[in-house]
Amino acid sequence: MIPEYILRAILASIAVSVLLGLLSPIINMKGLAFLTHATFHSLLFGAVLGMVFGLILENLSLVMIVALIVTIIVVVLIAELEKKGFSSDSAVGIVASFVAGLTVLSFGVLYKVMASRPYFPLSENIVSYLTGEIFLITLNDLLTLVVGGIVAFFIMLLLYRDFLYLSFDPEGLESYGGNSRAYLMILYVLVGGIGALIVKTVGLITLQVVAVLPGAIALMMSSDIRKILGVSLFLTLGVELSSVVLAYFTGIPPSGLATIMLGVIYGVLLSRR
Amino acid sequence: MDMNAVEAENLTVLYGGQPALEGLTFNVEEGKTMLLLGPNGAGKTTLLRTIAALHSEYSGKLLVFGEPPHKARDLISYVPQSHSLNERVPLTAMEVVAMGSIYRESFLHFRIPTSAMDKAKEVLGFVGLAGMENRLFRELSGGQKQRVLLARALMSDPRLLLLDEPLSALDPSARVEVTAVLSKIKRERGLTMIITTHDINPLLEIGDRVMLINKRLIEFGKPEEVLRDDVVKSVYGPLARAVKVEGKLFCITGDAHIYHRREEM
Ligand SMILES: Nc1ncnc2c1ncn2[C@@H]1O[C@H](COP(=O)(O)OP(=O)(O)O)[C@@H](O)[C@H]1O
Ligand SMILES: [Mg+2]
Repeated sequence: MIPEYILRAILASIAVSVLLGLLSPIINMKGLAFLTHATFHSLLFGAVLGMVFGLILENLSLVMIVALIVTIIVVVLIAELEKKGFSSDSAVGIVASFVAGLTVLSFGVLYKVMASRPYFPLSENIVSYLTGEIFLITLNDLLTLVVGGIVAFFIMLLLYRDFLYLSFDPEGLESYGGNSRAYLMILYVLVGGIGALIVKTVGLITLQVVAVLPGAIALMMSSDIRKILGVSLFLTLGVELSSVVLAYFTGIPPSGLATIMLGVIYGVLLSRR
Repeated sequence: MDMNAVEAENLTVLYGGQPALEGLTFNVEEGKTMLLLGPNGAGKTTLLRTIAALHSEYSGKLLVFGEPPHKARDLISYVPQSHSLNERVPLTAMEVVAMGSIYRESFLHFRIPTSAMDKAKEVLGFVGLAGMENRLFRELSGGQKQRVLLARALMSDPRLLLLDEPLSALDPSARVEVTAVLSKIKRERGLTMIITTHDINPLLEIGDRVMLINKRLIEFGKPEEVLRDDVVKSVYGPLARAVKVEGKLFCITGDAHIYHRREEM
């Protein structure tokens, strides 16, 4: 029999792969790698803050919710700054530096709270946000991931063409009757929301790579949007699943394996160009 | 047909309170083509974007077909400068063209409706790109790209076309190619056009009015009235000039060095 935690890990991988497989080409085409980076760092801030609240209120399920809320506030802030005329990079830069400072501060607070409570469960939780703990996914986590994932998936699918047009020519889109700002906001919230949904399975450190490289690789391999999506989905799925299986046998953290595999594929493709 | 497509009176356009254009008064009659000239940073793009309701920080009067720009949006097609397009997105010519109408027709755009595809084929044919529907936009030549953008602009049957430097970054033969399509649009569809350009010469044939700006209005009128040597020099510097060769007007602005080289030969 396959142990239940492996089944959960496989289901989680499938959900993660479908979401990132679809999102990753957009991140590349729209040039959002820097934004993705900042978003994922705000997830860490949100998680630490959530843990502080979680410990004080003795409800650790707050972690995910707080992380999600903080991240969405951050992406909305970035989008608002862009509306004000800042370039995407400066908007991200300004917000990201605040977030980085706040993260360090919140760690200080977290340690104080932790010290005041000698007994609490899941003490290594914050580390699991950094490295991903796909084998420790609870049924609850999985449920959130799947339900949230389905919502995100359909939003992304329905608006995929709009996101392509938004990336291609935002002013044109606006002048032909589309609402560029709304699409941009939805896209940013999707990046943040999907990040929050999957951060515990993939881990912050590698989320960046898994969210960017499959799309970058797919864009190198094809110019047909359907093929690009296919390659990106297939690649993410293959890498995620094989890393779970490999990790099961070797004991090496799966997200580390996934990242290295993607890095190797990207490197090989680049060098063969 | 005395209606004005665009009417501006004492129009000042600002960015964050700072004026980029000051006190413009002009009008463009329906069906006419206006060429908008001015050095870099003169505010040409700003003026087009304001007319297109893409920028709304302005004071003074600005009417498009008698209404404020945001109310006339459906009558306007704006064609941004092609270098502002992100070609990492592998869209086909058809997909780019379809963008011109689907936002006015339907709420969801996951699939391009058949009616829009048919229309896209028709306008691609009109700009001389029949059969190119499935070619990737980014793999087309500069002239073809510009024609695809013109096709996109025609999708919504607009009455006013705003074109931002449709000829820049094109080689001379592509300029002729695009100018031919512009002249066809004027002839067969009777659209009002405002075209910004650095190289006015290929466009003089279709230009009914010329407006020279440099943050403020310098000259506005018929080409032969505006393009006088002294006016051109005052905007583009001492090397610029307007000349008449065999009854045809030519304007030498940014390319003054070529003129000098010719003399040396
Ligand atoms: N988004 C913006 N924010 C602030 N200033 C701008 C913006 N866009 C243009 N400007 C300024 O407005 C002036 C006119 O620019 P623009 O309309 O692009 O000129 P042109 O198209 O004639 O080269 C320039 O001084 C430019 O710096
Ligand atoms: Mg310009």
